[in-house]
Amino acid sequence: MAELHIIGQILGARGFPQNSVFCKWGIHAGGAWRLLSGSREGQTQIDAPQAGEMAYWSHPIDLHYTTKGLQGWPKLHLQVLHQDSFGRCQLYGYGYCHIPSSAGHHRLQCVTWCPEGSWQEQLTQSFVGGGPQLRSPDLIYSGADRYRLQTVAMGMVELELTVILRHFDRHGVEC
Amino acid sequence: MLMATSNPSVFLLMVNGQIETANFPEYDDLYCKYCFVYGHDWAPTSGLEEGISQIASKGRESSHDLVWNFPLEITFKSTNPFGWPQIVVSVYGPDTFGNDVVRGYGAVHIPLTPGRHTRTIPMFVPESTSRLQKLTSWLMGRRPEFTDPKVVAQGEGREVTRVHSQGFVTLQFNIVTKDMKKLGYDTGSAESAAGPSGERQPYVT
Repeated sequence: MAELHIIGQILGARGFPQNSVFCKWGIHAGGAWRLLSGSREGQTQIDAPQAGEMAYWSHPIDLHYTTKGLQGWPKLHLQVLHQDSFGRCQLYGYGYCHIPSSAGHHRLQCVTWCPEGSWQEQLTQSFVGGGPQLRSPDLIYSGADRYRLQTVAMGMVELELTVILRHFDRHGVEC
Repeated sequence: MLMATSNPSVFLLMVNGQIETANFPEYDDLYCKYCFVYGHDWAPTSGLEEGISQIASKGRESSHDLVWNFPLEITFKSTNPFGWPQIVVSVYGPDTFGNDVVRGYGAVHIPLTPGRHTRTIPMFVPESTSRLQKLTSWLMGRRPEFTDPKVVAQGEGREVTRVHSQGFVTLQFNIVTKDMKKLGYDTGSAESAAGPSGERQPYVT
């Protein structure tokens, strides 16, 4: 059985309409993969930076997987949310990225998108906030049912991950 | 430590480095503390696990960074990369009344690949959760702090914290590992060994 370690941080986000954002994250992997240790999902702190446009989370990630097959290589999916001064949360973006399959240090930039409502919905959104959300969050990391969606580009989430592989070469797998 | 073992069960991670500089545009006369957070399978074998730096103030002439130039030397052993050590840095300095208050917490994983690495980590302070607390902390001159700085190296329980990022600390690492390859771990060190100053290794296919 081959082993995969993913160690690093969700650094933070930039390019969102406002600061004071946080992120809910999770890892999705195929059936052949088993998580031995580490947490599969989490939520970062909320950062309101004093200067600059980047919000920093420095959220640690440390995961240990074993696998019997290559299908369903782990994916990290994210939801970026904004918390306003009244404590209300609003969705700012969905995004996902594959965990790199080559060993070593990787700096990733995960693009995000947000569902866009009709113009009536956009109008009410500009006054009272809120906005459409995905009913099933699986859509963040699957391409199956996307064609009905209208979306708009949002900011970028930055990650720094180091990947350690063990015994993949024993099975002749070149990553 | 350098004995040749044919069948190792532990690997070693040697960290030589320094807490080099800090950039806090709004504050001066700061010092820092560091400590390490690591998993159950890890144990330090030599070196200092904690330290406190001198109080440094900004350069008057060219640079506006604080210089600590504070050494880090530690060696760990482990059987499993899970729980890879993180360094937690916290920065303190006097407020207008001369009381020591925290100016930032930050954490980063020790680099996993051998070679020389520079890490610039964002530093943040927790915020009061309610307006009343904000007012009383402003009146009393006491800022919210983490009772244990090690929480910044943990992923759990962070959803309740609101923070305010306000500076950066730059760390320098030189990493040596022993027996990781023998234990079957591929950290992809072939390409990272060729740093900006180092020579590029010839490709072997």
